[in-house]
Amino acid sequence: MAARPATPASPKNHKVKDAQPGQPMYGCEHTQKLFNQDQNTTNTSIQHYKSILRSIFDTNPLISQTTKGSDGVIHTTLTPAWLCLQCPGTLTEEDLVRHGSKKQHRFYVDSRNAALYCQMCDDIVWDPTFEELRIQKQVTGTFSTSRKRKHEELPDPIKDNPTFISANTTIASCKANGLRGIYNAGATCYQNVVLQSFLHNPILRNFYLSDGHQCESPHCLSCAMDDMFQDFYASEVTNGYTAANILSGFWISEKKAFENLVTTKEQDAHEFFQFLAEELHERNGDGKKPEIGSEHSCTCIIHQTFYGKLQSTTTCQNCQGVTNQVQSFLDLSLPLENVTPASAKKKKAGGAKATVMTLQDCLDEEYIKSDKCEYRCHNCSSMQQARRQTSIKRLPNVLAIQFKRFEYKQGRHERAAKIDTPVQFPLSLNMLPYTSRARGGEGKENYELARSCTYDLLSVIVHVGEIDTGHYVSYCRVGDQWFAFNDHKVEVAQLSDVLNAKAYLLFYMVRSLS
Amino acid sequence: MSAPENTGKAGVLVAAEDAPITDKLAHATLDDVLYNIVHDILIKVHRDEKTARANTAAIKVEKLALNSIDSSSTDQRPDVEVETDSAIYKDGNVTLKGNPLKTTKEILCPKCHLPRLLHPTDGKGGKKPDPSVIYCKKHPYIEKPGYDIYGQTWVAPGPGRGKKKKDMKDKLDPNDPSSPAAIMEGSAKDRPPNVLSFPSATCSKCKRCILVTRLNNHMGSCIGNSGRNASRAAAQKISNSNGGSQNNDNTPPGSQKGTPLPTSRAASPRKRDGDEFDEDAEESDPTNPKKKKLKPTALNKKVILKAKSPAATLKKEKIAKGSSMLNVEQKADDIDGNSTVQVAPKKSVPKGPSPTKKIKLNPSKPPVPSPGGKKGKRDRDMESESSGTLSSPPR
Repeated sequence: MAARPATPASPKNHKVKDAQPGQPMYGCEHTQKLFNQDQNTTNTSIQHYKSILRSIFDTNPLISQTTKGSDGVIHTTLTPAWLCLQCPGTLTEEDLVRHGSKKQHRFYVDSRNAALYCQMCDDIVWDPTFEELRIQKQVTGTFSTSRKRKHEELPDPIKDNPTFISANTTIASCKANGLRGIYNAGATCYQNVVLQSFLHNPILRNFYLSDGHQCESPHCLSCAMDDMFQDFYASEVTNGYTAANILSGFWISEKKAFENLVTTKEQDAHEFFQFLAEELHERNGDGKKPEIGSEHSCTCIIHQTFYGKLQSTTTCQNCQGVTNQVQSFLDLSLPLENVTPASAKKKKAGGAKATVMTLQDCLDEEYIKSDKCEYRCHNCSSMQQARRQTSIKRLPNVLAIQFKRFEYKQGRHERAAKIDTPVQFPLSLNMLPYTSRARGGEGKENYELARSCTYDLLSVIVHVGEIDTGHYVSYCRVGDQWFAFNDHKVEVAQLSDVLNAKAYLLFYMVRSLS
Repeated sequence: MSAPENTGKAGVLVAAEDAPITDKLAHATLDDVLYNIVHDILIKVHRDEKTARANTAAIKVEKLALNSIDSSSTDQRPDVEVETDSAIYKDGNVTLKGNPLKTTKEILCPKCHLPRLLHPTDGKGGKKPDPSVIYCKKHPYIEKPGYDIYGQTWVAPGPGRGKKKKDMKDKLDPNDPSSPAAIMEGSAKDRPPNVLSFPSATCSKCKRCILVTRLNNHMGSCIGNSGRNASRAAAQKISNSNGGSQNNDNTPPGSQKGTPLPTSRAASPRKRDGDEFDEDAEESDPTNPKKKKLKPTALNKKVILKAKSPAATLKKEKIAKGSSMLNVEQKADDIDGNSTVQVAPKKSVPKGPSPTKKIKLNPSKPPVPSPGGKKGKRDRDMESESSGTLSSPPR
């Protein structure tokens, strides 16, 4: 649809968002009046709303939650305050009525969510014009619409012919929502969980549903994925899906590195994820094999989605010379052993209370702390002690995290074991501290940068059972609702179920894209 | 700054009047945080609900406006003025009248313009929908133990190898007339529509129809080089010097693709039958339901029959050979045979498999031991498979 930006090229005149079919033009009769007074009022209202958004989302929340009462006392609250849309005042809830009757100001903005309160409706109103700005600011952090503008310069067939879309597309049924189970074809639950997390990955979904993959080669795994996306998002079937094509593509594939995956036995979901990612990369990308350890850039959908870059900095303890090495990564593998929870250190004095390890503890261990190593320094041209530190140079759009739950214990009884330690993980994750930019001291007070490093949990893969046998289940988020996928069975999941799961793989998606 | 009050904005967590000031502060802070959480959730829910209602009001008035003009006109934005209780249509634009939360009671789907069902049809909070209303197909998800979000459930998995005990345990006894299984028994017609059976899929290599739960195993032996055939091929390679036909590791010996020769069937049916059973015990490759199973659940058997039509026929042969205790089974088979016919077109199988399946299914519908080519093909397969290892049929 023609979602034109509310701000035209000339910054002087702000326009009200164009009417959309099936949507009222204004949030309520009163915003309608506000926008229909004259251009000047519209301009100031929109400009003022923008500056309010900036102060809410780009500055310390203290500022927008500090009010000056009628008695002149400055007051800062934890709870939301209300910013007047028509003057620079910030008010407490109690003062709203008085301010309204004194100044005839009727619109106030909530300092937590920037929702617009209309005093005459005595309700929050959701005006399309203001909402567009709010979502843009909250999600991307800017009002810039440069990408959209470029788009508009192209000849727009929709504008010339409003029926263009309806004439050329079939609308999927309202029932088709991508929520289907996948049948277990005999110990294939490790595939099902990864496929489900791909299916509910918005980037991959949009790629496949917009016909992103086109090829003619037989037994193409990417074509099989394409078919699967079609079946999930365009058909009304609620029965489980039979991933026969994926399975056969998997059997036919000749990846030597993953040959041991091709058996009828239970396998590791993480290995399957790596296999699927590499296979899809080869089908969609530049055809080069992603070499482990090298810096590999590719514009394929898999690289755009999952790949980030790690930078390891090695500092020679003798000459203080610094070597940087950059490599791309598909996922972050975090060990669970030898991690000291941050809370444990603080509580040391207080007594031994059971502490729970968090995802952040594991990330701290890997990407903040440095470790000692030996390396051959070029300057000193000899083996030297060095400090090595790894940080994330470029964050991916979808961050895949693996906990190393399966470990090969060395020693007298050599055997593989499963680490069952629960690890707490957040719904939204701030990756800023682990980036190279944060290492350089940037971003301490930069809310915009912090927002671009905020990730929301997308799906969780859980392994139940022992190391050699067990079952995989997964949780995926669709909108704000979580669902539990157990092979062909899909159930509504509570947030507590998700967060209490002993996760094996986690997928986080960057917020600015969602 | 004055001393903090003993509670925050929500007023839920209240400290005692004589509590120390830090206590009061902690209560007040926690209470405020609680308030914020509720505030944020409320804003979100309010936004979803009010936007949906406002859009509903707009959809309704737009519909009225379109209806009020000549239906032959293709104008998307007719120049008429229409007013409802909740919205005004004027100059092609919709504006609200009053608060949509008060004026509009239902929610229309923005896509199909049908009313949304606002409560699940079953399970937690379930209510029966109004039968006189056509609702949008997007329903609230059902939360009911044992059922999925669409209120579906599955028939217990078949009597698979290795899981026999576990599967049989929860299985409903078909002989007990009071159990739900008795109702479901035999024909899928009597089965509630929300009880689904496992579908079959076509193997991309041999084009055979395989029950989905056995697909991986099948592909392992058909495409991949694992399983029984692999070890056999290896054994054959070692023991046999004429490895000419075994060059291709990926293809199991005796490719199932081979066209059956008309004569092959006559080779040695008896011996084959015996072999087949042994092999079945070795591998869960879908073939005929074992006769050793005394009480195979009718439903499961039906699924198998559907997938593997030759199975039924082979079994009939066995019955003819005069094993004991087969009366019940045979009867069940007949019922099953019929039900299969009824079920096949109704069942929603994802994509590919259906056409092939039907074709395969039809010739074997009447459970008469004369399946012709199909059986012949199987015979040949098995024969060639075992030809190299006659000395040691796996036990």
